[in-house]
Amino acid sequence: MMKIKTENNSFRRAFDGKNKSGKVAFMPFLVAGDPDYAGCLKMLKTVTRYADMLEIGFPYSDPLADGPTIQAADERSLKAGMNTDKVFNLIRDLRSFCNKPITALVYANLVYRYGLDPFYKKCARTGINGVLVPDVPIEESIPFVNAANRHGVYPIFMLTQTTTDSRLKEILKYARGYLYLVSVLGVTGSRNSLGNETFEFIERIKKITTLPVALGFGISKKEQIDKATKAGINGVIVGSAIIKIIELNIKNPCLKVEKFIKELGVA
Amino acid sequence: MIKSKKDKKGYFGDFGGQFVPETLMTPLKELEDSYIKLWRDKRFKAELDEMLSGFAGRPTPIYFAGNLTDQLNGAKIYLKREDLTHTGAHKINNAAGQALLAKYMGKKRIIAETGAGQHGVATSAVSAALGLECVVYMGAVDMERQQPNVKRMQLLGAKVIPVNSGSKTLKDAINEAIRDWVTNIRTSHYLIGSVLGPHPYPIIVRNFQRVIGTEAKKQILQKEKRLPDYLVASIGGGSNSIGLFYDFLNDNKVRMIGVEAGGRGIKSGKHAARFTGGRPGILHGTLSYVLQDKFGQITETHSVAAGLDYPSVGPEHAYLHSIGRVQYTSVTDKEAIEAFRLLSEMEGIIPAFESAHAIAYGLKLAGKLPKNKIIIINLSGRGDKDLLTNIGK
Repeated sequence: MMKIKTENNSFRRAFDGKNKSGKVAFMPFLVAGDPDYAGCLKMLKTVTRYADMLEIGFPYSDPLADGPTIQAADERSLKAGMNTDKVFNLIRDLRSFCNKPITALVYANLVYRYGLDPFYKKCARTGINGVLVPDVPIEESIPFVNAANRHGVYPIFMLTQTTTDSRLKEILKYARGYLYLVSVLGVTGSRNSLGNETFEFIERIKKITTLPVALGFGISKKEQIDKATKAGINGVIVGSAIIKIIELNIKNPCLKVEKFIKELGVA
Repeated sequence: MIKSKKDKKGYFGDFGGQFVPETLMTPLKELEDSYIKLWRDKRFKAELDEMLSGFAGRPTPIYFAGNLTDQLNGAKIYLKREDLTHTGAHKINNAAGQALLAKYMGKKRIIAETGAGQHGVATSAVSAALGLECVVYMGAVDMERQQPNVKRMQLLGAKVIPVNSGSKTLKDAINEAIRDWVTNIRTSHYLIGSVLGPHPYPIIVRNFQRVIGTEAKKQILQKEKRLPDYLVASIGGGSNSIGLFYDFLNDNKVRMIGVEAGGRGIKSGKHAARFTGGRPGILHGTLSYVLQDKFGQITETHSVAAGLDYPSVGPEHAYLHSIGRVQYTSVTDKEAIEAFRLLSEMEGIIPAFESAHAIAYGLKLAGKLPKNKIIIINLSGRGDKDLLTNIGK
């Protein structure tokens, strides 16, 4: 039985709720189990207070869409003994104090090895609302999308500056929840500024879709977010900038992360 | 050719595909379109042929290894002498083809990964010849063990960037090369060195390496007036082997054996024998056999041969394995090093450690076969680069 929840879109409500106040939704990204299980849970408690939704990465040995900061977080987490089952446990623990929408970012081989159907079933049971598989483009996505839809989990897709209009049309047939706009050509990691290309890109996408649009990759400054807000973005994803603070303050990063989030002006 | 008609685009049976980030999809389509157009283009073909003959030194001969054949008193052993090409390995065939393709596509910058350094050297050389900027990613462990090749690349004008993440070998070099490519997609061509990666790479690389088998077939028919009974080649990503095998795939009586790196033995867990120790999985854009743990984390591999030290294998090999057309086996570091010495002492040819895996298995096989059988072993590269490795007494 197909169980697609078209109504009651938790992402839509979270974006709309925040946008009404004139602000963009804030979606921090953390690697599950970084630097370890307990440390990550503590950090999740901190960021949840400011976040409108969360993105949580399954640590992976070969994260080829990620830059050095997230790679290092993946390595820390795996070294501390994280695995797919433990990530689900962590998210279940997170669900005991957080009811905000959660996106899982997970590389294809982890899903493939777990089994597509069991993976998405487990996501649904754990309370994951959307799943983004960064190395599964639309051409390979049918089995992933079908499994997601079977279990009422939203398949989330990335759009990039190289996405042509014809590809965009294809992607919009399957994308649900929101669209993840990749701000730059490249991998994840903080950048000082975003170029005009990025803002033209946001405008191009906003004309074509009614889905909420979140901007990610390289976001680390208030000015970037302000500019993207003016360009009509609905949310921002901030990952590497937070994870870098964790890396540099491994014993007690929470206060510094809190301060950083406040400075972004998104809370 | 041997291929099921229902194959989804970019797949060999159940294997292959395009598992890459969205940013790369449009460039992959451009690459495929350009390749399809240029592959039939007379000017491109003429220019490539000239590079392969004048620059790379093709055709390479097959050579009857008489001393070893006599000693083993079994099958006749022929060596396909890819070690005689310019830069010393079959890698030049693909590097020349793809660099020319990149040039025709208007790309100014070449990105490559390298394990043993042979692909890196070949790419550096053709980039210099064609006036292209060249950046090569190489695992720090591999840079250490293949020093001579690092120096050669640098002399040829390439920038060699050490990779310190993960296992610091070929797998990690490919990760970094892909990251560079995603970032510099508009100006750069990723010149992948084996039949790996997302579609259309496995087909492009195979077609540029087919020349090995095309020549070998003509040469053996000339010398022996018949097809060989066995083809033997080593397999890292699988480009020298598919290059030799491909034109024989429909010759049902020709048996083919791909030799993987058994490292310190399969039981030790320190090896790169994907078909023995791995299972289907997704790595570097393609669905194939992958060495991984029970959650799908890619496991570290080991081989004395840097070029075979890789946790996955080309998807077309996974397909040929699945239909039983090619047999896959492995030999250990120790066996490969013995073969390295033996070929040097008996035939006066120093093989690369990678190729020594094929030699080791080929000699074992020859000894068990009657004298009227013929084996062609692909001597995919020369071993000068391996002389600094401590191989004991």
